[in-house]
Amino acid sequence: MAVIADKSLGNKKAGRKKWLNLWPALFVGPHLLLFVIFFLVPSVFGIYISFTDWDLFTAPAFVGFDNYKTILFDQDSSFHSQFYTGLENTFLFVLFAVPVCVVVPLFIAVALSAKPKWNRMFQSLFYLPSLFAISAVMIIWQFLLSVSYGPLANYFNISTNMLDNQPNAWIALVIVTVWWTIGGNMVIYLAALNGVPKDLMEAADLDGAGAVSKFIKVTLPSIKYQILFTTVMTTIAQFNVYGQPLMLTGGGPTDSTHVLLMYIQENAFGSGFSIAGISAAMAIMLGLCIMVVSAIQFYLLRDKD
Amino acid sequence: MKKTNKTKIIAFFFLLVMSVLWLFPILWGVFTSFKSEEEITAAAASFLPIHWTMSNYSELLIDNASSPVVKWFTNSLIIAVSHTVLVLIVVSLAAYGYTRLKFKGRDLLFGLLLASMMFPSVVNLIPLYSIMDKLGWVNNFLAVIVPGAAGVFNIFLVRQFVLGIPKTFDESAKMDGANEFQIFHLIILPLIRPVLTVVALFSFTGAWNDFLWPSIVLNDIDKLPITPGLQLLQGQYMTYPGIGTAGALIALVPTFLLYLFAQKYFMQSMSLSSGVKG
Repeated sequence: MAVIADKSLGNKKAGRKKWLNLWPALFVGPHLLLFVIFFLVPSVFGIYISFTDWDLFTAPAFVGFDNYKTILFDQDSSFHSQFYTGLENTFLFVLFAVPVCVVVPLFIAVALSAKPKWNRMFQSLFYLPSLFAISAVMIIWQFLLSVSYGPLANYFNISTNMLDNQPNAWIALVIVTVWWTIGGNMVIYLAALNGVPKDLMEAADLDGAGAVSKFIKVTLPSIKYQILFTTVMTTIAQFNVYGQPLMLTGGGPTDSTHVLLMYIQENAFGSGFSIAGISAAMAIMLGLCIMVVSAIQFYLLRDKD
Repeated sequence: MKKTNKTKIIAFFFLLVMSVLWLFPILWGVFTSFKSEEEITAAAASFLPIHWTMSNYSELLIDNASSPVVKWFTNSLIIAVSHTVLVLIVVSLAAYGYTRLKFKGRDLLFGLLLASMMFPSVVNLIPLYSIMDKLGWVNNFLAVIVPGAAGVFNIFLVRQFVLGIPKTFDESAKMDGANEFQIFHLIILPLIRPVLTVVALFSFTGAWNDFLWPSIVLNDIDKLPITPGLQLLQGQYMTYPGIGTAGALIALVPTFLLYLFAQKYFMQSMSLSSGVKG
């Protein structure tokens, strides 16, 4: 904003030009104003809050690194155990969900790009769930997996509850996540596969390469950037996991799927007394993890160049 | 030729199996929502309802004070439409500004905006609530309509489109005495309509599907949009699969209809965004 204001002041003498220089403020100004109020200020303020004892409503008092010391090192504090439980569970979810969410849509896209019968219809179907609201998806799946009402018990005679024991709870969360999110990555791969040079494929055919070796030697190298792109985006998305464990497992059994974002939400906005300062410190740590992971992955991407 | 046929057949059967897995939860949900509770709890429940009933839907849609689904649905419509309109205005203006106007530091400024997209949004959650509190927007629709319009990605997307429009178009208009707003309005805006359609569709579905933020900043039950509202509904109808699935399906209707009529735009946008970055 300052840049624009200076510019229009500086040109005031220039008469006609003064008019021209109001245009940037008119076009870029509205977004910039929103960006400052709803992105820039909260980002800076969020970092500051993590160094205070803020409770959302009274004035925050500066406490230095106390919040970080508590969540990172204070063995007696429940926030310490919450932080490590939440962080561990978030990492586990990322570890389980990301490979599946990257590979399953890849297989589907490869099959689609062979242009079999009903090709368009299949594609539409696989994309559809990614437009569904998470809470609606979780309600349907919660009943679907239920021992009392679901088809698993009714048709397949499975009496094990998928949601109240491990590793079933993780398996259920990963299945639901793949079902819900496959569409975006699938479309990215489809576009990439369309760009694989036909002559490369034909040359491989002439060499008598089988489908598998063609996939590994021709297809995969041609779309490696898109695969890295989807891996980065999927990892960032899964670090923010919240709705699936909240509504499907409730964080259970015994907090084994209680992810960090759930603790952040509960401590800041839950029913009890708000500990927004601690929550903000947890949020910063989660944000750091996300930034580190994306930095590593982007570095790898550059390395393979 | 024989070889490609074999590949096609294998691909077809693989996709057929996968599509059954993908379709099953949706169909099961739809059929369950039309079953009576007795039918659902019966030991050998059939896949299709034996007696189709609307009772689960009427339970939710007629005078339900603890899960006011009709109210939630209306709230969601108001929020998602307002948000979409706001985004379209802000984004198209800014995209024009960052391509066609010349001002000091323009590209640096845009570069900084792009870099801000790397910043993890989870950090903003708590301070943004405080800003809503200061603005008096807690429990106000503005809190879920306005902040999302601060995003940068859509500007980036539309900017790419504007860059592809030849400058000669603007120049001839300028010769005729058009000012910047007239060029934007009469020349650029009609040409970027396809990409604005994509932005509109994603803004609408994004606002409709938003879950965590509205559940934090709107806590009056009558102010909730339907997506966070369903969390309350889930708690209330924990042991009523018919009503639960009916509520979920009501929430899916608008996005499903949009998809039905504008599928190609949804598909396009994903390849747009990856093509640029990948």
